Amino acid sequence: MRPEFISLIPLLPLGGALINILFGGRLSRRVSTGLAVVSVALAAFMVVAFWSYAAGGGTRVELYTWIEASGLRVPLVLLFDSLSASMALMVTGVSTLIHIYCLGYMSREKDYVRFFVLLNLFVFAMLVIVLAGDLLVLFLGWEGVGFCSYALIGFWYREGRNADAGQKAFVMTRAADVFLLIAMLWLFRIFGTFSIPDIMARTELIPAAAATPLVLLLLAGACGKSAQFPFMSWLPDAMAGPTPVSALIHAATMVTAGVYLLCRLFPLVMLSAQGMAAIALVGILTAGYAALCALAQDEIKRVLAYSTMSQVGYMFVALGAGTLSGAMFHLYTHAFFKSLLFLGAGCIVLLGGENNIFRMDRAARRNPLVFGTFLVGSLALAGAPLTSGFFSKDGILTTVFSRGSGLYELVWVLGSLTAFVTALYTFRLLYLVFGGKEKTRGEIPTLSFSMAVVLPFLAVAALFGGVINLPAIFGGNETLRHFLEGPDVIQGFVAHREEIILTALAVAVFAIGWLAAYGLFRRESALRDNMASRFFRSGFYIDQLLETLFQRPFRTLARFWDRATERQLFDGFFSGLGNMTFGGAKIVRRMQTGRLSTYLGSFAWGLLFLASFFLCCALGG
Amino acid sequence: MNVPFSHLLIIAFLLFLMGLASILVRRNVIRVLIGVEIMLNAAGLVLVGSSALWNKVDGQLFAVFLMAIEAAEVALALALVIYLRRRKGTLNINAFNEMRG
Repeated sequence: MRPEFISLIPLLPLGGALINILFGGRLSRRVSTGLAVVSVALAAFMVVAFWSYAAGGGTRVELYTWIEASGLRVPLVLLFDSLSASMALMVTGVSTLIHIYCLGYMSREKDYVRFFVLLNLFVFAMLVIVLAGDLLVLFLGWEGVGFCSYALIGFWYREGRNADAGQKAFVMTRAADVFLLIAMLWLFRIFGTFSIPDIMARTELIPAAAATPLVLLLLAGACGKSAQFPFMSWLPDAMAGPTPVSALIHAATMVTAGVYLLCRLFPLVMLSAQGMAAIALVGILTAGYAALCALAQDEIKRVLAYSTMSQVGYMFVALGAGTLSGAMFHLYTHAFFKSLLFLGAGCIVLLGGENNIFRMDRAARRNPLVFGTFLVGSLALAGAPLTSGFFSKDGILTTVFSRGSGLYELVWVLGSLTAFVTALYTFRLLYLVFGGKEKTRGEIPTLSFSMAVVLPFLAVAALFGGVINLPAIFGGNETLRHFLEGPDVIQGFVAHREEIILTALAVAVFAIGWLAAYGLFRRESALRDNMASRFFRSGFYIDQLLETLFQRPFRTLARFWDRATERQLFDGFFSGLGNMTFGGAKIVRRMQTGRLSTYLGSFAWGLLFLASFFLCCALGG
Repeated sequence: MNVPFSHLLIIAFLLFLMGLASILVRRNVIRVLIGVEIMLNAAGLVLVGSSALWNKVDGQLFAVFLMAIEAAEVALALALVIYLRRRKGTLNINAFNEMRG
C-alpha cells in the first residue's frame, strides 16, 4: 500500500462524521450508528495494516501545502513513527470498543446522530493530534478535541448544569492553550518552521536561556488538556457528560494528549533540567491531590475522574524523571483499565439506578460480568501485583528512585504514598459499590449485548497489558521501550537487589492500602462526614478559591465598568446629546407652522431685508 | 425711447408689490397663484425694458422663455389645485398645514 493512504486513518472517522452530518437524519438508526462504529473500526484496522511503516525513523506523509506565505510554509503532514503509531493504535482500538458500547448505552437516546457525529469527530481530531507532523496541524487537532469535549460534556444541554460543565472545561483548557500557542510561536521564531521532526533534529539551536521558559510554557499547555495543577478543576465537572464520553475523552484519550505532546517534543523537554523537575513536581502534586480528593467523593464517576487526574499525574512524573517509554506505558495501561472502569461504571449506574455510591442499589454485584471486569479494572488501578497498572506504576517509581537527587527522592516518597492512597480509594469504591445492603427495587434493567461484549476485551487488556513492557526482573524484555527506540537519557540504573526491594515495596503498599480500606470502609457506618472529608470532597475548595481569585474580582470590575462608565459616562453623554438636540428642535419647530401664508410672509420679509441691505450699500458706496 | 426707464421700473415695482400683496393677503390658492403670475410679469417687464435700454436681444429672449415657463407652470399648478380641492374640499390655503413641525 502506498504510504499516502496513512491519511485514511484520521479521514475515515471524519468521513463517518460527515456522512452522518449530511444524511444522518434520513438513514435508519441501524445504518447511521453502524457507520460510526465501522469507520472507527476501519481506522483501527488501517493502523495495524500500516504498522510496518512505523519502523525505523517512521514515515512522513505530506498531503498538501496548507499555508504558504513569505517565510511560512505549513504542509499538512502526517508523521507515522513508533510513538504516533502505537498511540494511534491505542486511540482507535479503545475508541472502537467504546463506540460499540455506545450502541447499547445510547439505544434510548433520540439525539443519537449528534452523539455519534461528535464522537467520530473527536476520534478524527485526536488522530490529527497523534499523527500530526507539524505543530500547527497538531494545534488544529488540539482545538478540535477541545471543542468535541465541550460539546459532549454538555451533550444533555437542556439541563443547565451540564452545559455549564462543558463551558467550564472549554474555558479552562482554552486558558491553558494560550501558553501552548505562545510556545509554538516562540519555536517558530527560533526555527522558522513548525515541522516537528525539523525542530527535534536541531534542538541545539534553542538558546540555553530559552529552554526552561519554553518547557514551562509547553507544560502549562499540556496541563490544561491533561487536567493537571493548576488547570485541573474542570475534569470532575466534565463527568456531566454521558459515561462512554467520560471513558473515551476524559480517561483514555484526550486527557493524555498533554502527556503525548510532551512525549512528541521530548528532545526539547530534555534540554531543561529545571523544566523536567517542574514537570515531575506538577505531576506528583496533582497525583497526590487528586488521590486524596478521590477518597471522599460520593459519586462513582467523580471518584474515577479524580483517579484519572491522579494517574495522568504519574505520567507527568515519568516524563519529569526522563522516561518517555514509562510515561507511554502507563498511558496505555491506564487507557485500558480506566476506560474499563468507566464503562463498568456506566453499567453499574444503569443497574443501580443512581450515580451516588451511597444511595445506589447494589444490584450490580449479581451481574458476574460487570462485577468481575470492574474488579479487574480496580485491581489494575490500585496496582495489584501482576496486573498492567502494577508494572507501569512500579516502572515509573523505580525510574524516579534511580534519579536519586533531592527533589526526585521527595517525588518518590510522595509517589509511593499516593500509590497507597490509590489502593485505599479504589477499595473504598469497591466496598461501597459491591458491599453493603441490597435495596429491593422493582425490576432491574438488563444490559444490552453491545455494552456487555466490550467489557471482557478491556478486562483482558487491563489484566495482561503489562506484557507490552514487561521489565527484565519478571522475565520480559521491555518491548515497548525498545519499540519507542528507548534512548531514555537517564537509563534506569538500579541494582538488581534494589529493584527487587522496590517491587516488594510496591506490593506491600498495595496490600496495606487494601487492608486499610478493608478496615475503614467495609461498613457503611465508617462514612463519617467530618471537616476533612468535606475538604477532600470539594477538591480542596479549589473551585471556591478560583472563584474568589478570578471570578469575583472580574465580576466586581465588570460591575464597576457597567455602573461607572457604561451607564454614567456613555449613556449619560449620548442620551444628553440626544436630549439637547430634541430640546433645541422643540424650540425651532415652532417656526414651522405649516401655513403657506407664514412662509410667503417670511419670503417678503426676507426680500425687504435684502433690498434694504443693498440699498444701504448703494447709498453708502 | 419715449418712456424713461425709471418710469418703467416704477411700474414694474408696483406690479411686483401688487402681486406680493395678493400672495400675502389672499387665502384662496387660485388668487395666490394669480399673485405669483403678476410678480413674474413684473420681472418680465423689467427684462424687456432693460433689453431696450441697452439694445440687446437677450432680455427679450428671456421674456419669451419666461412666458413659456409660465404657461407650463400654470398648467401644472392648476392640476395641483384640482388635486388639493379634491383632497380637502376647500381651497383655503391655511387648510394645507401638514408641513407643520
